[in-house]
Amino acid sequence: MNALALSVLPRPMRLLQRYDDGEDARHFTFQLEDIRAEDAGMMPGQFFMLVLPGCGEAPFTYVSRPDDQGRFSALIRRMGKLTEALFELQPGEVLGYRGPFGQGWPRFYGKQRILAVAGGCGLAPLAGFIEDVARTRSGTHLQVIYGARHVGARVLSRERARWSGALPLIETLDQAGPGHRQGTPLAHFDTVFGQAPPDAVLCCGPEVLMEAAARECLGRGLRADQIWLSVERRMHCGVGLCGHCYVGDSYACRDGPTYRYDRYRELLRRSGCARELDRGELRHC
Amino acid sequence: MNAYELNSVEALRAHLAADRRLYEPRPDGQGGLHWQTVAADDAQAFEPGLEPPPFSAKAFFFPEREAMFRFERGRFVAVEPEPEAFTLFGLRACDLTAIAYQDRFFARDGHYQARREAALLVGMDCAASCTGGFCAALGSGPAVGDGLADLVLIPGASWRLLVNTAAGRAAVSGLDLKPAPRDWTRAREQTRQQAAAEQGDAAPLLAGIAALNAGRVPPQTWEALGPRCLGCSGCTSVCPTCSCFAPLDLPTDGGLRRERVWDSCLYEGFQKEASGHNGSPSPGDRVRRYWFHKFGDGFKREFGRYGCVGCGRCDRVCPGGIGARVVLKRLGGA
Repeated sequence: MNALALSVLPRPMRLLQRYDDGEDARHFTFQLEDIRAEDAGMMPGQFFMLVLPGCGEAPFTYVSRPDDQGRFSALIRRMGKLTEALFELQPGEVLGYRGPFGQGWPRFYGKQRILAVAGGCGLAPLAGFIEDVARTRSGTHLQVIYGARHVGARVLSRERARWSGALPLIETLDQAGPGHRQGTPLAHFDTVFGQAPPDAVLCCGPEVLMEAAARECLGRGLRADQIWLSVERRMHCGVGLCGHCYVGDSYACRDGPTYRYDRYRELLRRSGCARELDRGELRHC
Repeated sequence: MNAYELNSVEALRAHLAADRRLYEPRPDGQGGLHWQTVAADDAQAFEPGLEPPPFSAKAFFFPEREAMFRFERGRFVAVEPEPEAFTLFGLRACDLTAIAYQDRFFARDGHYQARREAALLVGMDCAASCTGGFCAALGSGPAVGDGLADLVLIPGASWRLLVNTAAGRAAVSGLDLKPAPRDWTRAREQTRQQAAAEQGDAAPLLAGIAALNAGRVPPQTWEALGPRCLGCSGCTSVCPTCSCFAPLDLPTDGGLRRERVWDSCLYEGFQKEASGHNGSPSPGDRVRRYWFHKFGDGFKREFGRYGCVGCGRCDRVCPGGIGARVVLKRLGGA
């Protein structure tokens, strides 16, 4: 079989454990039976396809990279038929896995200032990146702004607790009670831009939030090539063939889901969305 | 490339059909025209007519449904196609161009390539234009392009045969073929020019493509075209280059079989996610996407040509009257 055939055939993996982690969200740990080099080479921001026999297949991001035992974790929200069934599974059951697919976040070297902007479950694709920075202490200065609807909607509780001791983590809520910050992540840009503007901004969350965050960054003097978005689409095949996840003339499963903002805008412009882009009326392309 | 006189197309067909299963488009007696098997002893005359079959040869390589793997007793088992050698006889230039396009698109797809490698392609220049075709405007006909087929039938006062490849040469070995006169290319070029001229002025179509890529098509145009799309998938089914598919899990005894099935980007739910988010929520969004996929310069850069081969099938099948020819003229302001 060629490489493509291999990537289309699922590999078995077992559900090891899971715990509730946010509203209708769970933190799952899986174990691959047959580990390949590309698993350990996974870049944060990439995704895998989870096959639940009888329920189909859906894309999810990695929270942690497969280790030498093939164990990795993912944050999954109960949203449709597949996740509904997944939440009912007991540890030990066999699932299918394909991946890793797509483009992850860029690598940064040296003492750069990075801002990560996450909304809701959008924290999950950034988790591996944040974890790497928090662990390696490479000199990269990373600030994280995480917005959620309310206290109970926040995900990745254990990871956030760990990160908060290692780097600046601003949490903000749409519906904040006493002792919590109020507003969307954008409401706190004055704080994070206050000392010095970031060299790069990574955004993941609802597209409306990412677009607003990117525009705010442009307004504050950043260039579009300093901003990255993680654009979710309906990935099926993972190898750029089935057509479902198009963004302009690219496929999010192959060319994304991480897009540099200038390239993302160019994709949309080339696909006939130029006027909506210019007017800030962009819905989707 | 060698050119020969062909005294009998039927004799060639019988010769090829003796070695491998051979298909050619034939009337079904009920007004339809389908790819049908022709046996070596079939005496029916080869009468291709002017109109192409409603379905291209796409399904021979990219079937409407195809098993990809099975899940049994906790294991995933690949299902590999094992196609027998076959011949497609009488492929038109547009459809051969589409096969070349899909060869690039599915270059790394083992299922597609296994079927493709099993096929002998016998092309045919169109003696005259079909109704509604505009292959000449898109450089995909009416004569078969170089290298697109193993063998090419050239109509005229008498048939001629081009042998393009080693597979083609092997397939005709044993036939007594006499070289065509040296001026065979002149007659072919005359036929090509005449058939191309029958397709009318290409300028309004090319103006539509130019407008699309220059960003001169206002959103209102797409929103106006959108409601005329019924989401029936007629165009995507008959389009020889459309290749979108969806996974389908079917239960089996103690397991399941995963198939991939043709899908259509014009279905409302094509991009709909479990969250309800839809990357292309309105019919206008989806119609825009469809035509950008066929005529966008970004795709042309990746695949070496536009995704439309000008076969005219979408114009024939679309119940809303928004096939390629109509849409391009609208985009170009004609």
